[in-house]
Amino acid sequence: MQRIRNFSIIAHVDHGKSTLADRFIQICGGLQAREMQDQVLDSMALERERGITIKAQSATLYYEARDGQRYQLNLIDTPGHVDFSYEVSRSLAACEGALLVVDASQGVEAQSVANCYTAITQGLEVVPVINKIDLPSADPARVKKEIEEIIGIEAQDAALVSAKTGEGVPELLEILVRRIPPPEGDPQAPLQALIIDSWFDNYVGVVSLVRVVNGTLKAGERIRVMSTGRSHLADKLGRFTPKSVPAAALSAGEVGFVVAGIKEIDGAPVGDTITLDRRPTSAPLPGFEQIKPRVFAGLFPVDSDDYEAFREALAKLRLNDSALHYEPEVSGALGFGFRCGFLGLLHMDVVQERLEREYHLDLVTSAPTVVYEVLRTDGGVELVDNPAKLPPVNDIAEIREPIILASILVPPEHVGAVLKLCTEKRGRQRKMQYLGTQVSLQYELPLAEVVLDFFDRLKSASRGYASFDYEFERFEAAPLVKLDILINAERVDALSIIVHRENAYHRGRELVDKMQELIPRQMFEVAVQAAIGGQIVARATVKALRKNVLAKCYGGDISRKRKLLEKQKEGKKRMKQLGQVEIPQEAFLAVLKVGRR
Amino acid sequence: MNPLPPLSLYVHFPWCVRKCPYCDFSSYALREPLPESRYLDALEQDLAAQAPEVAGRQIGSIFFGGGTPSLFAPATIGRLLERARAALRIEPDAEITLEANPGTVERGRFAEYAAVGVNRVSLGAQSFDAGQLAVLGRIHSPQETRLAAEELHAAGLGNFNLDLMYGLPGQAVSGAERDVQEALALAPAHVSHYQLTMEPGTPFAARPPALPDDEQSLAMLEHCRERLATAGLAQYEVSAYAHPGRRCRHNLNYWTFGDYLGLGAGAHGKLTRATGEIRRTTRPREPRRYLAAARAPVSCTLVAERDRPFEFMLNALRLLDGFELSLYEARTGLPASTVVERLQSLAAQGLAVVTDTRWRASERGLRFLNDLLVAFLPPSRAAVER
Repeated sequence: MQRIRNFSIIAHVDHGKSTLADRFIQICGGLQAREMQDQVLDSMALERERGITIKAQSATLYYEARDGQRYQLNLIDTPGHVDFSYEVSRSLAACEGALLVVDASQGVEAQSVANCYTAITQGLEVVPVINKIDLPSADPARVKKEIEEIIGIEAQDAALVSAKTGEGVPELLEILVRRIPPPEGDPQAPLQALIIDSWFDNYVGVVSLVRVVNGTLKAGERIRVMSTGRSHLADKLGRFTPKSVPAAALSAGEVGFVVAGIKEIDGAPVGDTITLDRRPTSAPLPGFEQIKPRVFAGLFPVDSDDYEAFREALAKLRLNDSALHYEPEVSGALGFGFRCGFLGLLHMDVVQERLEREYHLDLVTSAPTVVYEVLRTDGGVELVDNPAKLPPVNDIAEIREPIILASILVPPEHVGAVLKLCTEKRGRQRKMQYLGTQVSLQYELPLAEVVLDFFDRLKSASRGYASFDYEFERFEAAPLVKLDILINAERVDALSIIVHRENAYHRGRELVDKMQELIPRQMFEVAVQAAIGGQIVARATVKALRKNVLAKCYGGDISRKRKLLEKQKEGKKRMKQLGQVEIPQEAFLAVLKVGRR
Repeated sequence: MNPLPPLSLYVHFPWCVRKCPYCDFSSYALREPLPESRYLDALEQDLAAQAPEVAGRQIGSIFFGGGTPSLFAPATIGRLLERARAALRIEPDAEITLEANPGTVERGRFAEYAAVGVNRVSLGAQSFDAGQLAVLGRIHSPQETRLAAEELHAAGLGNFNLDLMYGLPGQAVSGAERDVQEALALAPAHVSHYQLTMEPGTPFAARPPALPDDEQSLAMLEHCRERLATAGLAQYEVSAYAHPGRRCRHNLNYWTFGDYLGLGAGAHGKLTRATGEIRRTTRPREPRRYLAAARAPVSCTLVAERDRPFEFMLNALRLLDGFELSLYEARTGLPASTVVERLQSLAAQGLAVVTDTRWRASERGLRFLNDLLVAFLPPSRAAVER
């Protein structure tokens, strides 16, 4: 156990975490050269495309250190986007140390600060690493100072590396082995293994990534999942190197995977403890804090026959994405679907894309919303995650919206633009502090304003230099109203949004204009209206198409005509039928596409 | 067992003096002397190879299309007709149409075509506006069209069609009406009145000219239809208008999902066999390859049962009179139940109309024919697998 090191890499998106992980795998010989594909840990196709890590992955590497000893390094990957910060704490729970990777020219970003604090709070040894020192714009001295000023950890002896060229990486492995403490735990004690992650494999059932805290787990033993109380035969154990390699046993301090023929997808929840059936531990490990979703939207299959398949797909996704919440929802406009809760818009995007790509579902998403607290005139308080479920106006005493505390780091030259953005988003400044080369801002902001497009706007206002993290603060009363959208005079429940009264007219105008742009012309004229209560505040019309017919058809080659019509049919399939009107998916998300002035 | 559908013969001539920028038919600009006798030889071989397929069947119409068939001498057309009569059973009163472009037919030639057996001509007038003709890349002038029409009447070929286009770049409704008026002055028996559309792969599609919006082009259609009707030419298909008794028999055979033998480079055929099998045939499209391989076996594909409802509707719904369900059953070999529900649902949307057992697109349905046709496309393979 003295020669095991469990660690994570904390880094901002693009600061080179995946490249560094690849370099470790290469040096430790985890994969043959021909198996090396850039950024091997980002295994989901989606992650590779977006360049962000979404799910925790792990690799067990064997490193021959200069002291002549052979060390087992367990690298637990962590996601780098604000929406996924809860996954970070999950990964960190399995580690004794973390590498804080900072880009040598970009400097410290807010996301890393937050994750670094999580690591320090969880008692991890944090090792600062300055990456990309091969870039001409690299300024390690400045970045060291930033780490000390902003994060407050000693950084003068930070490792200087270039994951790209490999420079400094061997030295970093030495530092890692020296500074990160070995795990503690008793291999002889009753088994306690923490489930870091679980996912469903169509061939073997549930696969769980575990960190053995105490005791030893051997292949062929009967295990017990403590929350369900059910026992299963652990028929396969192993490690990811990052290829999966079978192992006979996993013992205290180690990280590996367990396959126990668990077929039901909620059979091994993340954060749960696994113990041995014949000699159980008396107490489970402290699990993870249940994450509360902040953004809600209804998801509906375009084809109602897909409802059951959709339910199954959600259950499978939920298995290793405990932040995803869902419950059945019936919409007047969109039929049967699920109300889903997400951590943020990126999370929503990722879930929707995975459902479409991995489960081949065509989905329509209703306008996303945050959760509001409603005080009724009878004194009752309820949480509303769906504008359509807002009580009648006469029953509402006040509507309270969620307020977050945002931490923003931005270079001084872009502070002006960021302050302006925060004001536009109804923000209230709490703190502004100059820290060396960056300005640290704290703002109270309504979450509703943040989830829509704040992140993108912040990036463009600061030319990509500002970084941002937030935490929930409280609910606060505000003058909020429900804005309804009517299509050919029919209220479409899935398009209602809750907005600040001051913005309502403007939002309504923008929304109907955007819808007009997104709804294709069809056989009938389509009227799009925005209304507050009974009052129409904006209107736009999608003119009727006058004809849609092929001019010529004389025997001959029909394949091209057919292709054209098939394309038309494909287009229709992506649309949802509301009465006689066909509405494309994007139109339901029009609310996300407005608000940019 | 259903009787076999009526049979037509289509012969393709793939050359034009110049390729027009909107045209997506199989045609090639002539860059060297027309290989007239070689092409005739190839067509004869093609005929000999395919004739056994239709042994014993009557042919009710022949269409010489292109390209520009009128680039070929009357003697060549005559020789081909002679061969066709020898190899096939051509009805004595068969409709025999030759496509011609004004500006390619010298004086007196139409009479010669008539003498060898051509009894109908389709003339590519397109427009009577010299400026438009230039934009469309046509080689003729309005005056040449008028002269050609005169010649046709003089040659006893009063049964001729004029091809006209509307929705031309920068055209106003009045311009489209003027074109129709000019056409009517030439007393055609038939008018094909098409909207100019941007076909993929054409120069116009790559660099589209500014076209009238669909509000305007619908107005053109409606005004022109009115004028044609007043002159006695009633619409009977999406783009076809004729005097009573002058509907194009050859095209009607396509639109009623009949059979046709295809000869020539790029020609397509459709043949139903006694077994109920429907096959589509194709010949090499490129003239050079065709000339080298006219004797080669005809490549063909079977029309699967799942594709037949769509292929039938693609044609039959274009007719203003529509079709009898019994015709659907006879031509596709499938029971009416394979389409009735879909037709009823279109009727409920006001897009189709039924009288007894005769179905047709409604006036509105005719404008949105593509939306109707989509309903008959077979489910995509991906959907079937799921």
